[in-house]
Order: sequence, then C-alpha cells, then structure tokens
Amino acid sequence: MTDLQLWLSAVEMGCFFGMLALAYHLVYVGAGFFNFAIGPYAMIGGLCTSWLVITYDLGVWTAASISIVLALVLSVVTELGVVRPVQKRSGGGELPALVAVAAVLFAIQQAAGYVFGYPTLPGQVLVTFGPVEVAGVTIQPNTILMIALGIVTFVVTALWIRFTRTGRLLRAVGDSNHAAALLGLPVNRVRLIAFIVAGFIAALAGILFAPKAGVHSLSGLGWSLSGFLAMVVGGTGSVWAPLLGGMLLGLVEVFLPYYFGGQAHVYGMLVIALVFFAFKPQGLFVRTVRA
Amino acid sequence: MTATSTAAARTRHAEPRNGLGGLALGAAAAVLILLWAGSNGYKQTLVMSAVTYAMIALGMYVPYLMAGSLSMAYSAYAGIGGYAVGLISTKTGLPMIVAWIIGPIVAAVLAVILGLVTSRLSGFFLAAVTLLFGMAFNAFLIDAEGISGGSAGLGNLRSLSLLGWTPTPYQVMVGSVIVVCLTAFLLDRMRLSPWGVIVRTMRDAPRAVEAVGVRVPVLNLVALAIGAAIAAIGGALFTYSAGSITPDTFTLNVVFLAIFMPLIGGSGTPWGAAAGAVIAVELTLNFPALQASGTLLLALGVLVILLVAPHGVIGYADKLRTRIWASLRKEPHRG
Amino acid sequence: MAEEILLVGRGLTKRYGGVTALSNVDFELRAGEVLGLVGPNGAGKTTLVDLISGAQPATAGELTLRGTPLTGPASRRARAGLARTFQYPQLALELSVRDNLLLGRVARRHATPWQMLVRAFAGALWPHAPADDAVIQEIADELGLTGLERLAGDLTLGEQRLVEVGRALAQDPLVLLLDEPFAGSDARGVEGIAEVIRTVRRRGHGVILVDHNVDLVASLVDRIMLLDRGQVAFNGGPRECLASPEMQRVYFGSDAEDDIPQAEVQDVRS
Repeated sequence: MTDLQLWLSAVEMGCFFGMLALAYHLVYVGAGFFNFAIGPYAMIGGLCTSWLVITYDLGVWTAASISIVLALVLSVVTELGVVRPVQKRSGGGELPALVAVAAVLFAIQQAAGYVFGYPTLPGQVLVTFGPVEVAGVTIQPNTILMIALGIVTFVVTALWIRFTRTGRLLRAVGDSNHAAALLGLPVNRVRLIAFIVAGFIAALAGILFAPKAGVHSLSGLGWSLSGFLAMVVGGTGSVWAPLLGGMLLGLVEVFLPYYFGGQAHVYGMLVIALVFFAFKPQGLFVRTVRA
Repeated sequence: MTATSTAAARTRHAEPRNGLGGLALGAAAAVLILLWAGSNGYKQTLVMSAVTYAMIALGMYVPYLMAGSLSMAYSAYAGIGGYAVGLISTKTGLPMIVAWIIGPIVAAVLAVILGLVTSRLSGFFLAAVTLLFGMAFNAFLIDAEGISGGSAGLGNLRSLSLLGWTPTPYQVMVGSVIVVCLTAFLLDRMRLSPWGVIVRTMRDAPRAVEAVGVRVPVLNLVALAIGAAIAAIGGALFTYSAGSITPDTFTLNVVFLAIFMPLIGGSGTPWGAAAGAVIAVELTLNFPALQASGTLLLALGVLVILLVAPHGVIGYADKLRTRIWASLRKEPHRG
Repeated sequence: MAEEILLVGRGLTKRYGGVTALSNVDFELRAGEVLGLVGPNGAGKTTLVDLISGAQPATAGELTLRGTPLTGPASRRARAGLARTFQYPQLALELSVRDNLLLGRVARRHATPWQMLVRAFAGALWPHAPADDAVIQEIADELGLTGLERLAGDLTLGEQRLVEVGRALAQDPLVLLLDEPFAGSDARGVEGIAEVIRTVRRRGHGVILVDHNVDLVASLVDRIMLLDRGQVAFNGGPRECLASPEMQRVYFGSDAEDDIPQAEVQDVRS
C-alpha cells in the first residue's frame, strides 16, 4: 500500500467517524445526552440497504431510502419511547439513561441480526463509476463518495445551524436548556429534530462506509464507540469539531496497525480515550464548558 | 408528617438484616435447577452458562448497583479468571486450585489500576473507556499468542484434583451453583451491613460519605476490586467446566447481558442478578425454536422492564407482596 | 479560666474564577464554645464551612485543630474530629433513618483500604452490630426522631436536617459544623437541635452554627461572627453584635428582609 493510499484510507475513515461524531454532537447539543445508539443507526443504514439489494434485488437508491427511513424511525422511537420517559422518571440521572440507551443499542443489534441475518454483507455503492487513477493510485468510487458526501454533510449542517430558524433554535437550546424552556422555546421539539437529523446522518454514513469492509449486525457497537470518541476529541466548540476528531481517529485507525501491526488501533483508541477523557474532556474545540 | 392517600406505597420499611430470606428462596430455586439438570450434559452446560453469567452480574453488583459506577470491563475480568485456569493448567505444573486464587487477585489488581486511571470519570465516559478497555484486552489476547494461544486459545485443560479426588461434571455443576448461592448470600449480607450502608450512601450522597470520614475514591477502588474478583471466579468456573478458553469465550455481549440481568431479576438484592441470569440463559440458549431471537426477546424484555417495572421481576413481585400484605393488615394512615 | 483553643483559622481566603468568596478570615473556637456565623446571602458563610471541613480547598490561609494543622481531604478532617451538616441535606434517600444515622457511627472504622476490605468481608459474615443500635437510639431520642425504619427519602425537609445532625453527632466530633440546620424545621425540631448544641458544649466540644435566623442564632451562641461579602464585619458577643452599627449596615443594606434582627434578644441558653 502506498503512502497516498494510506492517507486516503485515513481520510475516508475520518469522514465516516466524523459523520458519526456529528450525529452525536447534534443530539448532545439538542438534548444534552450521549446517544450511544448512533452506531446501530449507521449499521441499520448499511445492513438494511445491502440486505434489500441482495435479497430483493431492489435498486440501490430505493433500498437506501427505505433504510434511512427505518433508521429515522428507530431514532424517533429511541427518543420518544425510551430516553424521554426514563429521563423524566429518574430525574435526569445519568445512569438510568445510560443503561436505557445500552438496552436500545443491544436491542437494535439483536433485531438486525434476527431480520437481516448474521453474516457480514458487502456494502452497496450509491453511484457506480469506474475507479479513478490519481498519481499512480487507484481510488475506488466508494472512497470518493464517502469523502465528498461527508464534507457536503458538514457544510449543509453548518449552514443549517447558522442560517435556518430550526438550526438556531438548536444552538439556543444547547446553550442552556433551562433558559430555553423558560423562554418558551419548544425544547421537546428541538430534541426530536436533533434525534431525527442525527439518525439521518448516521444512516447515511453507514451506507457510505459499508462498501469499505462490509457490515454486519454487530458492527454498531464499535462504530458507536468510535463516534463517541471522535466527538469527545473534537469537542463541542463548533460544528466542524467532530470532523477534526474523526480525522484524528482515522489516522490512528489506519497508521497504527501499519506501523505496529496487529490490533494496535484498538490500543490507540483506548489511550486516546484515557488521555482526552481524563485531561481534556472539552476536546480540541472549546466553546462552552458543560458542567 | 402525614402520609398521603397512597399509604401502601408511602409507608416503606427497611428490611431485616440477616439475608436469610433471600438465601432460603435462592437455595430452593438452586435445588430445583440442579434436579432439573441432573446428569443431562446439555442441561449441565446451560446451568454452567447461567452460573457464569450470574457470577459476572454479581461481580458488577458491588461497584455498579451499590456504588453506582458502571464499568464495562467485566468481560476482561472473567477472561482473566478463565485464562488463569487455562495457563496454570497448560503451562505450569501447579495444582489447579491455585488458578482460583491467582485469577481473582490479578483481576482485582487490574480493576484497581483501571479504577485509578479512570477515577475522574463517570457515567457515559466511564462506560466508554471501560468498554474500550474490554476491547483492548480482547485484542491483547489475540495478539499475545505466546501467552494466550492467540485466537485459538488454550485447550485440553487438566482436571482439578483436590487431595486426589477429581470431581465429576455433575459435581462441578453442583459446586458451581453452591458458589453462586454463597456469593449472592454473602453479598446480600454485605449490602445490609455497615460497610454496605457506606457504599450505598456513596452512590447518592458521596459528600456525606467524605464528611463522615471515609475516603470515597479509595472505597470505590475496593468495591471495584471485589467485583472484579467475583467475575474472575465466574470465568474460572466456566473455563474449567468447558475445558478450553478462547478470546471469544467472554465477549462484550456478556457485559451487556450482565448489566441487564439485575434489571430483569431486580436490583434490590443480589439474588436479582442470579435470577436474571437464569432467565437470560433460559431465553437465549434454551429455546431451540427461538434460538436466535431469544436474545432479541431478552433485549426487548429489558426495554419493557426499564419502562414499566424498573425494579425488575423480583422488585415487581416484592411490590405486589408489600401491597397485599399492607391491605391484609389494613395499615392505618399515619397522622 | 482559659479554655482550650480547639479550632483556629488564619487568613482564610477563597477565590475562584475572578470571584473572591472569602477574604482573610480569622477566627478561633474554644472548647465548650458555640460560635455563630451570620450574614446575608452570598456573604461566604457556607464557603467558610466548606473550607474548614475540606469540602473545598482554600486559596490561602491555614487551619489548626488542637494545635495540629488541619489539611487534606474532607474525610481526613472528619476523622481528625470534624463533623458537619450541609445546606441541602446529603442523605442516602433509599436507606432508612437508622442506616443514615449509623453512617456517622461506623465510618471511622473504615479509614484505610485494608480496613475497608476486612470490614467488607466481616460485614458479609456479621452484618449486624447491636452495640451501635443503642447509641443510635440515644441520639434519635435526643433529637426527637421517631420511626427509624422509615426511608430517608420519605421524610420532610426538617426531619432530614434532624437526621443529618444526628449523623454528625454519631461521629462524636470535637467540632460540630451546622450549616443552616433550622430551615424548614418546626418548633420541636429547633428544640431538638438546640439540645444537641447544648450537649456538645457540655461535653467540652465546639460548635459552629450557621443560619439566616439571626435571633435564633443569637440566643444559642457565645459569640457571633458577622460576614459581609467575604470579610469579617464583626466578631463578638451576640448582644453587642445585634446592636452594632455593622449589623445595621450589612442587613439594612440588603434585600433579605427576614434577616433584619429584632431589638430584643431572648436569652434561652441554659
């Protein structure tokens, strides 16, 4: 593998983790909560698409649309059916919400295994075109799509947050939940919107990433962890922070095994988690310090 | 100081302190399970699975349910217990009983180290880091082929031999169930003891615990160490009875199930963890028709319980019992 | 008749994020003495208690207890002989009143990691210690607490404060720090706590009493310290304090109308 190929791979993974982290970021800003089920939403996106294409011979775009809708439904159910009732009942304590979301993660993975089967399915490329040759390196279409659409997602989200009414509402609620509620802002609606947009981004990310190494029902757990890590590393300071965090993780994921072999990236993630969680929980981009 | 009209719910009382009630019920259930399994090899495997899950869940009981900190590193602790058995068996000539001593100690030490490193973390961050640690430990098992046998793991384990007596699989099963019951019983009494009061207060009011003279971070580490040791015993028991161990034996799946077991069974007493383990194994492994979806049923069941009956099956039964008892005694409204 | 000096604070200062909560506070507490701490909201009363108990680290200043420096985390200071209550009661709501009181009594046996381990296993074998029950009952009687098997979460706020005082008392402390113990209490609760203060004083120990109700404080203490915006405005006898110009300035200048003291002070100390 040439150096350029490695770097491309790292950027590709960076965009994937970045999108996941962005999904986390939106839910955290809108609902003050870490939605560990983001990984499974992405998994559903990828796995359902592949399954529909392979089993029912549907067109990629049809299958992808259905999968995204499914992920959105799961996201909404997570918020309305699980997180909100549990948080209300336990007075906002962290542990019950954490256990609840772990249960959702687990349930989605098991359900996916049951419905879509347990073997790894190959990902489906959204747009097929021939591999591109650049500087003696062959770039696969899915890599280009991942990186391009990843960046587009961030741009669109940044614009959305900055210039639309809903987007700015999201920021307002994120800055202070209490003040927002007192001001009569629709806190619950904003939360729901955050969950929906996050679900969409996660599902899209899953569809785009699946072609790289396939997807199976248990992929979601690792993806959830990576996305969470990327979000924390990047920080909450700006919409682009998750992308930065994702890129850092992408580098770790690709280069550590290359130089150190074996499972070095897992050790790398652990070290990064320990360092950032313990010493710099606000991440690299700091805007507000959440108590 | 008037109770409201929901008198039955308001006049909650603390329970007696000897833990014998739980032991009686638990022992009765254990006897039934042992009779059911008999010498059927398949059923014995199920019981051993339940034993392992129960021990891991019981291991999580002290730090998680009592002290309120959720660590997901338990697959690693169980793995340490299992690999202790495997290593002592295949690489040394030491008597097997040593594994049951060394395994828990190593697991406890590792838990303390991990606890020190993560001492400022809580909630989601702690869960994420400990989950990553579990994954890293798994990766280490695969990488360190010289020690752990890599992906193939260790097999062909020796039999335990205590003064020349080697237990039969049936006896191993009985012994393991006894270990579970003993652990649950002792944990129950620990919970009710002054030590338990301090640890349980640490969960809701750590400032109070510091203010009376107990250093909270240190007590937390002690709780983690005890929990890890218990999980390691469970891992050792399972590996011994299975005769082999690979990195796949104790997966992260196990940790999730271990969290859910006290939820299902009830988090009020350690017996809830054991009850949850039995239910979980029954659902996931013993329903041949629903083989794959048993776990799904379990997952959905957990969600339902979370929303409807947060104190689990035992808690729900307990609430019913209290309500029936109260209406039978016709408790007056306190004025 | 020089009484032993129990607790000394010199130059205690607390600054955080540009705010100076306490500035150069000096005080002394003698054996058998009750020191009242009053002042409007934000004056720094609870901060001072936090600095003494170790709940917050001081930016500057030092503390000595019976001549030895008082340092380290709250738990170490508690073992040295401090006990405190909190502005918002910190109780284990899922445990009984008895268990919450028990916490104060058994804590000092769990000082080192070794003790913690041993007591964990000892607890598994012998969970019940009857000797402690008698002490707990005595404290409950002194405070007028009944229904010890009730869960702490079901109590009224006043009762919860009583339990916290009981827990502090169970520690058998040299110095008792009470942070606003009377808020939400009825007459019986107030009398219960007042009785505790008298008992501690009789035993030759010390009490620092923080509260908003200046009259009540004045009737229970030997000396009053008036804090204003982090500094000591007055330090002397209760009658003198109430009549002092500093008291007029500090309280009449604030919005806390219910802190305005009355002219007459009923001396109910016994």
